[in-house]
Amino acid sequence: MQVLAVDATWTKEIVLGQEVLDYIKENNVKIVGLFASVQFLKCDTVKKQLADAGCEVKTTRAKRTDVEMQILGCDAYHDSYKEDIISVCDMLLYIGDGLFHPKAVLLSQAYKKNMKDLILWDPVNEDMTIIGKETIIKQLKKMKANIAKYLMSKTVGIMVTTKPGQQYFDNALKLKKKLEEQGKEAYIFLDSTFETTYYENYTFIDSWVNTACPRIGFDDNVNLPVSIINIREAWNPSVALEKLE
Amino acid sequence: MFELELERVISEIESRGSKRVLLQLPDGLKPQAKQIADAVTSKTGAEALIWFGSCFGHCDMPLGLDVLKVDLMVQWGHNRYHKTREDW
Repeated sequence: MQVLAVDATWTKEIVLGQEVLDYIKENNVKIVGLFASVQFLKCDTVKKQLADAGCEVKTTRAKRTDVEMQILGCDAYHDSYKEDIISVCDMLLYIGDGLFHPKAVLLSQAYKKNMKDLILWDPVNEDMTIIGKETIIKQLKKMKANIAKYLMSKTVGIMVTTKPGQQYFDNALKLKKKLEEQGKEAYIFLDSTFETTYYENYTFIDSWVNTACPRIGFDDNVNLPVSIINIREAWNPSVALEKLE
Repeated sequence: MFELELERVISEIESRGSKRVLLQLPDGLKPQAKQIADAVTSKTGAEALIWFGSCFGHCDMPLGLDVLKVDLMVQWGHNRYHKTREDW
């Protein structure tokens, strides 16, 4: 089977609203880190507005994306980006609608002491929103609690999706071996979507490890009655816990 | 509005000689599935099927399509995805 991707580009010119320019002035912003989802990458006017406001614009390429400046929902770790522009910017600006993608930029700062806010400019609704640590605080608290539970767990379920784009079976096998060497029991579970209602059937699992989309371990986590962490934290849970303190 | 690139999609279907095409759209574009399916069928003669469920990214492609003899899948709202093997 062949596959064809269509970006579904936003056709109107993207122009920052006055509220964004006011924010830049009021906060004396000098360096802006610019991110966008694939539909909103035509940011020539935005870049000119930022330059006219006296700002230097920095962009990077998230490793899984195809284009500079674009972000995906899975770019949720500090090393998801080619360059760490977040540390050097006064302001982080995301162009797009919805919260799924911009939350990745916040999550990528989970291990940093001072998380930077993200200014969202939604070209569809022509609306500015500011999101910060409070937006993901529930996820971070649950993440810490779940890592602590994983450390104490005797029996672990490792989730592997059959979707090729999110499938990391080799890593699951490696983790299973590592856990067994530590004297724990580990079972690998296969599914395509991991519907939230199925977890509780497996009452013998103390703690789950997700190897599919990283956002399962960050977002789905909050509403699930079971404990899930991402495989990234499962390799060295003590270190992850320490960094989150 | 979002550019659906119907002319390009139709041209691709014709040049590839696709007979059965699956259309996968993110939630915001799902209401336009009828418009796209009707255009694909009327202009290329290919059978247009619509994916009912999720379309979270290019990483989220439906499985089992070969069994249904789908020869082309068109996914809107995402571009090429680079899966990183090292370290997840």
